[in-house]
Amino acid sequence: MFNLIRRDVILQKKQLLLFVPFTLFFVLLGKQNPAFIFLLASLFVPINTFAYDEKVEVNILLNSLPYKRSEIIASRYLGAIVYMLLATGVTCGLFYALSRPFTITDIAISSGLFLLFTALFFPVSYVIKKGYVFPVAMISFLALSIIGPKIVFHFADDLKVITDFVTSLSTPIFYIGLTLSILIIYVVSWMITTFIYQRKGF
Amino acid sequence: MDNVVELNNVTKQFKDFSVKDLNLQVKRGFVHGFIGANGAGKSTTIKMMMNLLKPDAGEVKVFDLDYKKYEKTIKERIGFVYDGNVFYEGLNLKDIKRIVAPAYKHWDNALFSHYTSQFELPMNKSIKNFSKGMQMKASLAVALSHHAELIIMDEPTAGLDPIFRRELLGLLQELMIDGNRTIFFSTHITTDLDRIADYIAFIHKGKLIFDKSVHDVAENYAIVKGRTDLLDQDTEQAFFHIHRAATGFEGLTDDVRNAERTFGGEVVIERASLEDIMYYVKGGLQHV
Repeated sequence: MFNLIRRDVILQKKQLLLFVPFTLFFVLLGKQNPAFIFLLASLFVPINTFAYDEKVEVNILLNSLPYKRSEIIASRYLGAIVYMLLATGVTCGLFYALSRPFTITDIAISSGLFLLFTALFFPVSYVIKKGYVFPVAMISFLALSIIGPKIVFHFADDLKVITDFVTSLSTPIFYIGLTLSILIIYVVSWMITTFIYQRKGF
Repeated sequence: MDNVVELNNVTKQFKDFSVKDLNLQVKRGFVHGFIGANGAGKSTTIKMMMNLLKPDAGEVKVFDLDYKKYEKTIKERIGFVYDGNVFYEGLNLKDIKRIVAPAYKHWDNALFSHYTSQFELPMNKSIKNFSKGMQMKASLAVALSHHAELIIMDEPTAGLDPIFRRELLGLLQELMIDGNRTIFFSTHITTDLDRIADYIAFIHKGKLIFDKSVHDVAENYAIVKGRTDLLDQDTEQAFFHIHRAATGFEGLTDDVRNAERTFGGEVVIERASLEDIMYYVKGGLQHV
């Protein structure tokens, strides 16, 4: 299964060359929130993988090789985490090298959003028609980043009980709770995608 | 004789097409050809053999194993070649090898180099710039480099020039020297089969018409030509399909001895080629 994760590097050699300048550009620009830059960097490899993996031929190839369908999906979910960690590491390095400020909170926010986004997107990517995966990914990403906060603020007023409960939590419990919920969503999404993929025909 | 692939009462339903109650056995150590017109269900059947499609009903067994439990064991032992290129288009053969090789326990690098140089395949050119024939050779090189016992090919000769088609058939024959190896391949170019197949399965509109040894087909199928007045309700029973013209009739029979008994010396009986069989069956089945 490690081979399947490594496959992304072989596939995206050329794109990876762009990774450093791409991230460097945003770091140098310094206008965006560091969390946003971390998130963009993390999405770099997985987004490209989507574009490859929606092709029918690729799925025919992978499923004709001695892999189980559950392994193919597992490699996507574990691979996303691996590439997120690597991308975050490299981005940290760039921030350091240029002595630009960032905090652990930035990384936590970007990692959380990244996991949430992939957890929502993976199952959907196996349901929607091919050719639409990439546009749907981009549009939903932009829509979420624009409308998302507004929705949250809107509900913050309406659901005072919940927000009161959340604010009443101590900081460590709040973070642990958040981490756990994101992980649970990620694992559930993994299970759903495996279920969908097992039933697909190519 | 043991079977490498067994399809038992396999049914797969699509919106506008279905494969119905398919029973097919592929015997170890032989070349098994699979013929049928475009859209007859060849690819669907092959995809079910590869577990790319799951049958709605019936059972698929490869090496006497079940895909549910032994997917990896089975695929470890299969080499596959498909109609179109399934490898990442932008990659060259070196990178494709990097992706495919680690998937197999028995990948043989030396063997792969042997085939790529035999096929004169460039290692550093991206596969999308390969000609159709070269893409096919590349798939074949990959399929042959992990000591697969069963080689499944979907239309490997489609779109190839006659010279390479011959080369390919020669190569397949060489591979069969290893008596443990089995080749199953679909084609609609029937002359491919005359050269190398031991068994022939013929599918038409999702139904298996026959699955016989080449010898059986040659012995039993024939074209019968004679005067139209020889035909009546009884004698017509001997044919799959009859083509009538003012000058006489031509019909396909699968029981040449019966036809001989029925018509005696009144008709001309000729050996039916696979193409004849496909042509007449397509004309419509009169009886089954």
